[in-house]
Amino acid sequence: MFDRRHFFLVGTTVLALSLLPAVSFAEDAKPVGGGSLSWGVETDPATLNPHLNGQDKTKLLLRNAYESLLARTADGGYVPWLATGYEISQDGKTYTFKLRNDVAFTDGQKFDAKAVVANFQQLKDPAYSTSVSAGPVSRIEELKAVDEHTISFTLKAVYAPFLDYVAGLEILSPAAFASSQIKSGGPEIAGTGPFILKRYVKGQEIQFEKNPAYAWAPSTAAHQGPAYLDQVTYRFLPESSVRTGALTSGQLDVIEGISGNDAALFKDNPDFSYQTALNTGTPYSLFLNVTWGPTQDVTVRKALIASLDIDKVLQAVYRGERTRAWGITSPIDPQFYDKSIEKSYGADAEIANGLLDEAGWKDKDAEGFRVKDGKRLTIEVVQAQATVRDQRDVLLQALQAQARQVAGIDLAINYVDAGTYTERRKTGQFGSIANSNTPTDAIDIEYHYLPIDKGGTINYSRAFAPELEQWLNEAASTLEPKKRFDIYAKLQRFAILDEAYAIPLYEPEDQVAAASHVKGISFRPFKQLPESAYDIWKSE
Amino acid sequence: MTADNVTTLGHAPVASYRRRHFFARGGLPLQVLGRIGSGMLVLWAAVTLSFISVQLAPGDIVSLLIGEQIRTPEVEAAIRAEWGLDQSLFEQYVAYLARLLHGDFGRSYILQTDISALVSSQMLPTLKLTVAALAVAIVYAVASAVLTAGKRIPRSIAGGLELTLISTPTFWLGILLLYVFSFTLKIFPVSGDRNLSALVLPALSLGLSLGAVLGQVLREGLERALEEPFALTVRSWGASDFVLRLRHGLRHAALPAVTLAGWLVGNLLSGAVITEAVFGRPGLGRITVDAVLSHDMPVVLAVAILSALIYVAMSTMVDILYLLLDPRLRSDAGRAKT
Repeated sequence: MFDRRHFFLVGTTVLALSLLPAVSFAEDAKPVGGGSLSWGVETDPATLNPHLNGQDKTKLLLRNAYESLLARTADGGYVPWLATGYEISQDGKTYTFKLRNDVAFTDGQKFDAKAVVANFQQLKDPAYSTSVSAGPVSRIEELKAVDEHTISFTLKAVYAPFLDYVAGLEILSPAAFASSQIKSGGPEIAGTGPFILKRYVKGQEIQFEKNPAYAWAPSTAAHQGPAYLDQVTYRFLPESSVRTGALTSGQLDVIEGISGNDAALFKDNPDFSYQTALNTGTPYSLFLNVTWGPTQDVTVRKALIASLDIDKVLQAVYRGERTRAWGITSPIDPQFYDKSIEKSYGADAEIANGLLDEAGWKDKDAEGFRVKDGKRLTIEVVQAQATVRDQRDVLLQALQAQARQVAGIDLAINYVDAGTYTERRKTGQFGSIANSNTPTDAIDIEYHYLPIDKGGTINYSRAFAPELEQWLNEAASTLEPKKRFDIYAKLQRFAILDEAYAIPLYEPEDQVAAASHVKGISFRPFKQLPESAYDIWKSE
Repeated sequence: MTADNVTTLGHAPVASYRRRHFFARGGLPLQVLGRIGSGMLVLWAAVTLSFISVQLAPGDIVSLLIGEQIRTPEVEAAIRAEWGLDQSLFEQYVAYLARLLHGDFGRSYILQTDISALVSSQMLPTLKLTVAALAVAIVYAVASAVLTAGKRIPRSIAGGLELTLISTPTFWLGILLLYVFSFTLKIFPVSGDRNLSALVLPALSLGLSLGAVLGQVLREGLERALEEPFALTVRSWGASDFVLRLRHGLRHAALPAVTLAGWLVGNLLSGAVITEAVFGRPGLGRITVDAVLSHDMPVVLAVAILSALIYVAMSTMVDILYLLLDPRLRSDAGRAKT
């Protein structure tokens, strides 16, 4: 197990063990080793290099081979993994990690301080990592290997989300950076995980084999030692009905991404198991542009929020299979979600119409839309074709109908290609953009509410109120959780209630269904994405 | 089956024959050289046109590559340097042509892999699918034409079936085939390109609608051929109706169908996109759509060039097939006597 001398986190570990989400198979038979598993997944990774791949949907397979310094617990705490523990200096700027001394990469390279330093040095180089180099790694002033198994990071200033980033970064074998595969990823890029990436056929499948030497699972895992399965194959099946059919006909053991209509096939069916987990991060929300079109007027933004009865729309579109969101971050965020925002706004036709009359949109045209100075009250929703999934097109149509019916607002939905989307984002010529994201530790909030030129990379509402930047910087430069919570709660009320920058709609989720002979499927504590195949075993 | 139609159909081979006759004067080598030269010209035009049209598409590449991530001058400079975007458009074009001549298609913006390797690994599965689909189409078209031409009731049954197949979207047909043969009867596997049985359903879903189109054209042609005087002559030899249709009639009927098939095979690639997605097969189709959607210019270019190459090869093959099928054309090329 762990080297107790370097173990600074006993408390959190005990807590973590008590909160383990996936011990359901404890009452089943004893886990057996061996066998191979086939898992149907929706998304074929753009690159297999976990440093450069930003697709959450591919983390479940990459996590088989690549691991990080610390693991998260359900309540947001940290437990040892490749590091036995960490320490933050008094001034909050230096992070010191003690590393395990018994870990090896699957290509035979040694896991030590030098290897970790090499990873972060590469990430700081824009030629390797482009935009990643401007993210949290850019805050590192000094990076050094203190001794063979100790590494320290000194930041330019206190930055609270840094620990989440550094603890979660996948560590690659230092030999990988010399490979021609480094950018695309592949079998030459070794990690320390319980499985080894063996074969990748683009558009078809990716295959992992057991790492027999594996002996460093975090305490959040259900067992220790090598993985149970000998082999895992993920097959790329973009069509959800095909994944469902392949599972029900026994051609696959597990699938992820199940449509609302198919869920009933697996729920309460003894032949299958069905699990879901809400995502972390910012819910799928309509962000209203404060610098262009009618939404520049806060009264119009508030009127739109008031005109929509989102509960009703979700019920109609998803048959109650999706969770309403109210705030700027996920309702399951144990650290920074302030529940008091719930049920504090929306679904009031009277307020909506009153506000619009007040803002001068008094007249209506022949089609029932409000007009002012001969111009219709049109809010153009720009939606990138690539991110339309999970029946979001239907959801937007339902909102469109409601806004028209209740308040005479014209929500014009415009589906665009990647190039047009980028262009519109750049010029700021759009009424609204709808999207969601998943980073934790309030990084999602920073991306959405910092000014565009100061790290607000997905500040779709283009909000620039000085309070936002001030509060976000204040929250990021303290390591006190309570203080951070209070600031984000204040920001949430300001952004949703006072300024109506965004209309939160629902929190996306992941679904996994499996044949009943597959045991040990779980979601990652805190991060909520489907867990790797490490704890999975087959009972036949 | 009006007289008008007959003459129109007669025209295509004749026009082709004139062209061929012109080349034939310079002898075979010159003819081949001319073909290669015009093929190269078509390819160059395809490269240039694709290059220009990709440049005209909205959104600049640096912004697209940064996407919704952090943008700093250093990041922009790194991206420009990595992809050679710091050069002028003309320099980029010349550099691209030069690399092409060395068989180097460059690296994908999004997938980060070497495109030559990517395309060659995806080419075989698509080729297998296309060939299998073509085989399905031909078998279906020939069987349907030979068995039903000129017979009133079988003809209308086959016609109805063909109309259904043509108007069924590939996507839906694929799901339907999967539902029946994979999910319910469990005869064929659902996905991948691992063995021959995994090829059956994708080939059917892609090939049947093509076969239906060909079958209709072929049947019309066959019926017309059976009314010609030579049919009577063959019958007078005592040949059976089946032999007449298969050995003599089909040859006459095949020309328009072959022309159409050459053209439709190019369309198979676009049909392959949907088939590949439904059946979880690797292949060029999906790569292409993803590349277009994400503005992955080097991949789009590579596929455009490859498609041009395939079209050039197909049209040459169709020309050669004409020679094999129709002795009248051969005779003028001096290889056979009338």
